[in-house]
Amino acid sequence: MLRRYSIQLILIACGGLLTYVAYEELLSLYTLSVLMFMGVNIILSSSLNLVNGNMGEFSCGHAGFMCVGAYVSSVLGVWLFTKDKVFGVPLLDPEWAIYAFPFIILVGGVAAAFAGLLVAIPSYKTRGDYLAIITIAANYIVISAIENLGVIGGSRGFMGMKQVISAMEDVVYLPWMPIWVFVFTIFCVWAIRRYVSSTFGKGVNAICQDEVAAEIMSVNTNKIKTVTFMVSSGLAGIGGGLFAYIIGYVNPGSFNILKSTEVMVMVYLGGMASLSGSVLSAILFTLLLEALRPLQIIKWIVVPLLLIIVMQFRPEGIMGNRELSDIFPWLKRFYRFK
Amino acid sequence: MLLSVENLEVKYGNIQPLHGISFHVNEGEIVTLIGANGAGKTTSLYSICRLAPPEAPRVIAGDIKFRGESILKTRPSDVVKKLKMALVPEGRHIFGNLTVMENLELATYSRERDADLKTEYQRIFDLFPRLHERRKQRSESLSGGEQQMLAVGRAMMTGCNFLLLDEPSMGLAPRLKYDLFRTLKKLNEEGMTILLVEQNAHLALHLAHRGYVLDTGKLAAAGSSKDLLGNPDVKKAYLGG
Repeated sequence: MLRRYSIQLILIACGGLLTYVAYEELLSLYTLSVLMFMGVNIILSSSLNLVNGNMGEFSCGHAGFMCVGAYVSSVLGVWLFTKDKVFGVPLLDPEWAIYAFPFIILVGGVAAAFAGLLVAIPSYKTRGDYLAIITIAANYIVISAIENLGVIGGSRGFMGMKQVISAMEDVVYLPWMPIWVFVFTIFCVWAIRRYVSSTFGKGVNAICQDEVAAEIMSVNTNKIKTVTFMVSSGLAGIGGGLFAYIIGYVNPGSFNILKSTEVMVMVYLGGMASLSGSVLSAILFTLLLEALRPLQIIKWIVVPLLLIIVMQFRPEGIMGNRELSDIFPWLKRFYRFK
Repeated sequence: MLLSVENLEVKYGNIQPLHGISFHVNEGEIVTLIGANGAGKTTSLYSICRLAPPEAPRVIAGDIKFRGESILKTRPSDVVKKLKMALVPEGRHIFGNLTVMENLELATYSRERDADLKTEYQRIFDLFPRLHERRKQRSESLSGGEQQMLAVGRAMMTGCNFLLLDEPSMGLAPRLKYDLFRTLKKLNEEGMTILLVEQNAHLALHLAHRGYVLDTGKLAAAGSSKDLLGNPDVKKAYLGG
């Protein structure tokens, strides 16, 4: 009984601990924000792994979908709950923000999922390198569209999300951001795990291995590609929404190809098609970036160099295509992947 | 008539591999398409299976009918699921880093949950005892012949009653070829309809009831296997004198 629910209990304990620590301000604001970025990075890398690892397509425009999610949930939150120069008085009572917040983030995710169609539909007929080019184009389409939307700040960016958070804190004083980042991170990892271990998810793996063979095994490849791209970009949108609310400010420049590359590095570092690898590498990568912060701009020489070294000596990434429970079989007592 | 192809013309980009060919397959028959390289044999099979682009040839004229209804708008997954036709592609296309058993399991992807899969796996292992020996082995480590057996077994696991085989004898040792063809005959006697594409015309015509000879996208000859084996032109062009 206890063993069966041990994962859930551990997660609840972690969440409780995080809330307590944040509430009592035992951790510095800096440490807390690093922890939150870790959560966002876990969402981003595991959702990209769904496309790049499990489905075997090469998507390098993940930040574009993140951007859609970030902007949609930011604009929605600010429009509904705060007094803003552009949008005027709040449409709803700011007290409601506390209930609406998770839905605002989810709406951002749904919007990003539909933006994912921008890549999903061309993927019916295009594969490999050509699809990769399309994903880069999609990333740029999103960024340029937002840069030219003056209403939401254009390339100057958009802010006001902190007010939504403080409206929530006015009602009940709790560290809302760490809590929601934690909840959404768990949700995303759980959703991806369920997705890839379902029968439908086996079809995703079949496409990765051999698309023709998948098709003649009655796998509806177009449908699976559409759904997988939408799930992946939708989760990226959730990550983007959280990212925007953590920083309290978004601008299109922070979702350019560099950000996409960063996410890709995490995926390849962790190992293709390995969910636990993605989670692990997102944690390590976030820590690494923070550890190298004193190097300032030289950081961006050291990090790619690390990638070269990884590709040279361990091209399959930290985990290869295995899961944590394949390496430590005793973990299977607590959870099963398949 | 189970399947009929009527004046089919298809194109890949600007290349037109089929210039209006017609043939049909009756239920319970073995029909073979023979011809040299580039005659349009594989293209015909791909067109029937409605494979999605970019593999798919684009139909520009003619029709493919299954039990009298056009299937030009059918999705490839439905060709397997609803029409119960399964392709064993040239080059086998097995899932290399899955085990033999996993390959077979994947073929049941869209089967009914209550289907009696156990007896079906058993049936395949009875037909191909080698697969049973190797069921836990990664399939890329199988020999060519075993991979071909797996490809046939996997197609059968989709629950099909119409097999389309593309060059099943390619790269097999002569004895394995005969074994495979004997198995196909046995399957046919159990009720499986088979459309066989082969370069090895002799072998194919000995197995099949009827045959069609293709030549650069056109039908060169048609008839019962016996007639074709006796036809001097066919003999000269495809059977080596």
